[in-house]
Amino acid sequence: MTATPATVIQIAESVVAEINTGDFSKTNLSAQRLYVPNFDLEDMKELRVTVVPREVEYLPLDRGSNKYHATIDVAVQKKFSKGDAKEIDPLVFFVEELADYFRLKRLNSFVAARCVKVENSVLYSSEHWTQFNQFTSLLTLTFELAK
Amino acid sequence: MLHRGQSWLAAKLTKHASRDVVYQRDEVSVELSATIGKSEYEQDDGEGVITRAQVRDFLINTKDLLQSDIGTWPRRGDRILETDGDTTFVYELMSIGNEPPWRYSDPFRVKLRIHTKLVDTIT
Repeated sequence: MTATPATVIQIAESVVAEINTGDFSKTNLSAQRLYVPNFDLEDMKELRVTVVPREVEYLPLDRGSNKYHATIDVAVQKKFSKGDAKEIDPLVFFVEELADYFRLKRLNSFVAARCVKVENSVLYSSEHWTQFNQFTSLLTLTFELAK
Repeated sequence: MLHRGQSWLAAKLTKHASRDVVYQRDEVSVELSATIGKSEYEQDDGEGVITRAQVRDFLINTKDLLQSDIGTWPRRGDRILETDGDTTFVYELMSIGNEPPWRYSDPFRVKLRIHTKLVDTIT
C-alpha cells in the first residue's frame, strides 16, 4: 500500500500538473518537482520549470484545526546567449503568466488548497545572470487550507 | 629584460603546452593556440537554486587574438570550442566570482587569461 504523500507534496504535485497542462505562452512545458533544484549549466539550454516545496506553517484556526500554509517555490530558468530584451522579456512575461494563473487559484487536483499569496521576490537572479549567463526567476506561492 | 623573458616563456608555453581551439564570436570563428590555465568545478546556490558548471581558463596570446578576424579584446558571451577526439566542448566567456570574463595573465600583457564555463558538449 502506498501511503498518501504529505499535504505539502500533494500541493506541489498539483502545481506541477497545472503548469504542465496550463495554457501559457511557453508550450510543451515539463515542470518537475524537486527537493533541491540542482542543475549543470549544460542542462539549461532549454527552459526549466522546477517546483520546490519550501515551507509549512500551522496557524491556529479553531480548537480542532489549523490554518495550514504551504509555501511552494517555482523556479523558472534558462541559459541565455545575449541576455537582451528580445530574449529575456518573454521569460519575464511567462513568470507573470504563472503568477496571474495561481493568484487566488484553487488547485484542480487538490481543491482544499487555495493560493492566497503570490510573490516574485527574485524577478531574476543577478548572481546567476553574471556568473552563468542564466535567467533564474523565483515565484513563491502560498497555499492555504484548513487542516 | 623581464618583458623579453616573459615573451620567451609565453612562446615556449604556446609551442609546447598548447592546443588548437576555435575562438568564436557570433558568425566569426578563428583558430588559435591556447594553453589550459585552470580547470575546476564551480557551484552557486544563490536563492536556493543550485547551478554547477565546469570552469576552464584558456591562456591565449594577446597578439594572436587581436590580429585575428576577431580583432578586439575578449567579450562576455564569446565561445571557445575545444575538440578532444570525437567530442567538442563548447565553453562560453563568463565572469568568475568578482572577476570579469578575462584579464591579462602577466604584467606585460603578453597573454590573456580567459575565464569560461562549459555550456555544451557535442559528440
